[in-house]
Amino acid sequence: MAHIHVPAKVPVRYLPRSATANMVFGIMVVVGLVSFVIRLGQDPTQAWISYVSNWLFFTSISVGGVIFAVATWLTKAKWNWSLRRVSQSLVSFLPFSFLLLLPMLTLREGYFHWITEMAGDPILQAKSAYLNIPFLLARNVVGAAVLFGLLLYFVYLAIRADVGHTKGAEHGDEARASWRKRLTQGWAGQAEEEVKSYHRMTTVGPPIVLVFALVMSIFSYDWAMGLEPHWFSTMFGPWFFMGGFWGGIASTVLWAMYARTTDKDIANHIGLQQRHDIGKLLFAFTVFWTYLFFSQYIVIWYGKLPWEQAWIITRSAPPWGKYSLMVIFLCFIIPFAGLIGRKPKMNPRILGTFAAVVLTGLWFERYGLIAPSLYHEGDPIFSIWQPLIGLMFLGLWMGSIRWFLTTFPVLQVWQPMVDPETTDAEIRVDEDRGYAAG
Amino acid sequence: MTTLNPAERPPLTPTERGALTHPDVERLSDVNRDVLAILGRPGKGWWLLFALAVAGVGVFFGAWFWQIYRGIGVSGLNGPVGWGVYITTFVFWVGIAHSGTLISAILFLFRAPWRQAVYRLAEAMTVFAVMTAGIFPLIHVGRVWHAYWLVPYPNSRFLWPNFKSPLVWDVFAVTTYFTVSAVFFYLGTVPDIAAARDQAKGLRKKLYNVISLGWRGTDAQWHHFGKAYIFLAALATPLVLSVHSVVSWDFAMSIVPGWHATIFAPYFVAGAIFSGVGMVITLAVPMRKAFGLEAYFTTKHFDALAKLCLLTSLIVLYAYLSEFFMAWYSGEEIERTAFWNRLFGDYWWATWTMLTCNGLVPIMLWFKRVRHSIPALFVISIFINIGMWFERYVIVVTSLHHEYEPWAWGIYRPSITEMSIMVGSFAWFSFWFLLFTRLLPPVAIAELKEVLPPPMRKSATHQEAH
Repeated sequence: MAHIHVPAKVPVRYLPRSATANMVFGIMVVVGLVSFVIRLGQDPTQAWISYVSNWLFFTSISVGGVIFAVATWLTKAKWNWSLRRVSQSLVSFLPFSFLLLLPMLTLREGYFHWITEMAGDPILQAKSAYLNIPFLLARNVVGAAVLFGLLLYFVYLAIRADVGHTKGAEHGDEARASWRKRLTQGWAGQAEEEVKSYHRMTTVGPPIVLVFALVMSIFSYDWAMGLEPHWFSTMFGPWFFMGGFWGGIASTVLWAMYARTTDKDIANHIGLQQRHDIGKLLFAFTVFWTYLFFSQYIVIWYGKLPWEQAWIITRSAPPWGKYSLMVIFLCFIIPFAGLIGRKPKMNPRILGTFAAVVLTGLWFERYGLIAPSLYHEGDPIFSIWQPLIGLMFLGLWMGSIRWFLTTFPVLQVWQPMVDPETTDAEIRVDEDRGYAAG
Repeated sequence: MTTLNPAERPPLTPTERGALTHPDVERLSDVNRDVLAILGRPGKGWWLLFALAVAGVGVFFGAWFWQIYRGIGVSGLNGPVGWGVYITTFVFWVGIAHSGTLISAILFLFRAPWRQAVYRLAEAMTVFAVMTAGIFPLIHVGRVWHAYWLVPYPNSRFLWPNFKSPLVWDVFAVTTYFTVSAVFFYLGTVPDIAAARDQAKGLRKKLYNVISLGWRGTDAQWHHFGKAYIFLAALATPLVLSVHSVVSWDFAMSIVPGWHATIFAPYFVAGAIFSGVGMVITLAVPMRKAFGLEAYFTTKHFDALAKLCLLTSLIVLYAYLSEFFMAWYSGEEIERTAFWNRLFGDYWWATWTMLTCNGLVPIMLWFKRVRHSIPALFVISIFINIGMWFERYVIVVTSLHHEYEPWAWGIYRPSITEMSIMVGSFAWFSFWFLLFTRLLPPVAIAELKEVLPPPMRKSATHQEAH
């Protein structure tokens, strides 16, 4: 069993502020927004397909990244002590994600074909208790608000306990100081705050995971599965949200590898052990995504029920067949072959590259969940507008996460090294090879 | 919400603290002493249980021979329900087998140190559960002398089993699983068998001499052992997912409403781990008491097992709910009727037993007080075992008895022969498990030592720490 060494004093480190970076992100957002407006004029359906697929992608990987932080917290993982904050930082996209969801709620017949089809289709009428606009709006708004709110609360607790340590280490940065002041309201002292945060994070963690499974399933049903209203698959929700979780791990890798390049301490602490371990998880969830994909595919293929295989045939026959094949290459074959060895997982560049491949694959996959369902002959399979509109989301995603890591320490300074309940004995054994008195 | 300052809190008792071993275990030799004591002369209780198990095995084989003698007609199997208690019990035992590999392989790779106390018994449980499960297809086929038809082998008539049939996949999946888990189990015990060898006398010594493969605990041996163990763990990990996925496809590949659902593979895997961990608790609690292992199976282990049960129960609950939701959402008459029938039809009692035991009862595991109470966990684990058997019964029977054609609907009632074989299978499993507890160290000696302080000159550690 490897023993993870957590330093007694974690250095307070931030990403450097950069006006250039902010400008680049700003330009990306503007280009994306303009592209969306232009595309909306040309072909509203295509514009919205790009918008929704990008929203699903960026939202699911951001939520997935924080859920990764929650899951490792609940399992009392110590190996990722230097990566916790990086995973938590993905929460900063979620307020934008909520705002970006609102325009999607104006979508009607052009996107949700069931609205028009329902009149003449008894099967769809039988589903009208779920497939109706008021309920759709309500469950999406409430679901997103509850899920994002809980995730923000979880990350808030993690940061709040850090604040006592960052005082005096903020390099005179006013934004950091002002956030510290905002977060220290009702401050009860460092030790108390740490115990309090520990308890609250541990209490709120399991419900967060439940809400995650539920709300992400609803997102996937409403924005992707429901586009072919006769099709249904119980696997669709888990496949979608576990993909998001996997994307969250890949995002953590990418941001961590980037953060390593900015500071020597960060580079040292996101060390061989951390890279090897998160590389193993990235690999494991590559296989897991494929397992879920395959388990859904083979049941439909074997069953050969007309209403069920339609969804698969749309995606495996021309013109979408090659597109789907590319997704499988990016999401499975390349990362599987690339990450199977030990050295690629440890090498920051190679690990980062495969994380980028995974994210690219997932980005194509999310588009592939939506676009073929709304495809008409003559539509482009894929056009430059998809990445152009994506720039708006990418700019916001990178900008918000970068802002987060410049404002709050990249390495979580407060580490739950003394679990008030269960791990203290363990830690003491590790440290002085003896037992703490009961 | 507690906001106590750690300094102000009363000191925790070892049970509350949930350490990996009790502070009473001081030296490495204590572990040898306590674990090897189990291999000594069995007490009356053991003999009583063993006699019961032998009697149960008699019932098991007696009923099976009766069925062979009289024909499959002595079971309740008939159109439309051609799969009944045998397949239910087969899936149940394959499911039980799963947590062993999860605990020994996946938790090993995840570096979860709490696994060490229970993993040996979980692995043994896996091997014996697969041995039990493997008999059921043979019983189910009726004419057992034709069972070898499932095995693909070159023959003069070029007759092969139908490789497109999930039942053939099952043969491969289950035999592979048995091979790997048996090898994994054996490999892990080698250093402990050597420890037992060093103390044993007479015939036992001769036996341990052979099966400990000349283990002396040299550096080179530990090095090879470590390598082999991690390789096998990595090889066994995909099997945890694949075996029960294949078992789930025995059902999901067909188009029977209630069977044909895409979520079946992960749903079955989660259910298998759920039932398996439940069974580990069921076995660990009496073992702890009978063999005085309180110092080794601590609150921490049971707490972790209970959390694993809670997690998998929630996954299973998600699968139940999404199945009910999708059946409704499908808008298809057949799907809707199948699930309505499941809830309120002839077998409503089985469905509600399943929902109560697997969905409602585990909710209690949210509370730490319950997770830290060993009697409560034992009772809950029994509920889980019952619930998971009923889950398979619900899937197998309610789906078949009420398929597409109304004229082909029918009721299935298990016969006495079937129930005897089902009950007897528990005896068959217990028979092997009881033998195991007396013949091989049922707790991993070598791994338990990893969490103890290493011996120091003048035992300085103990003086300071206590």
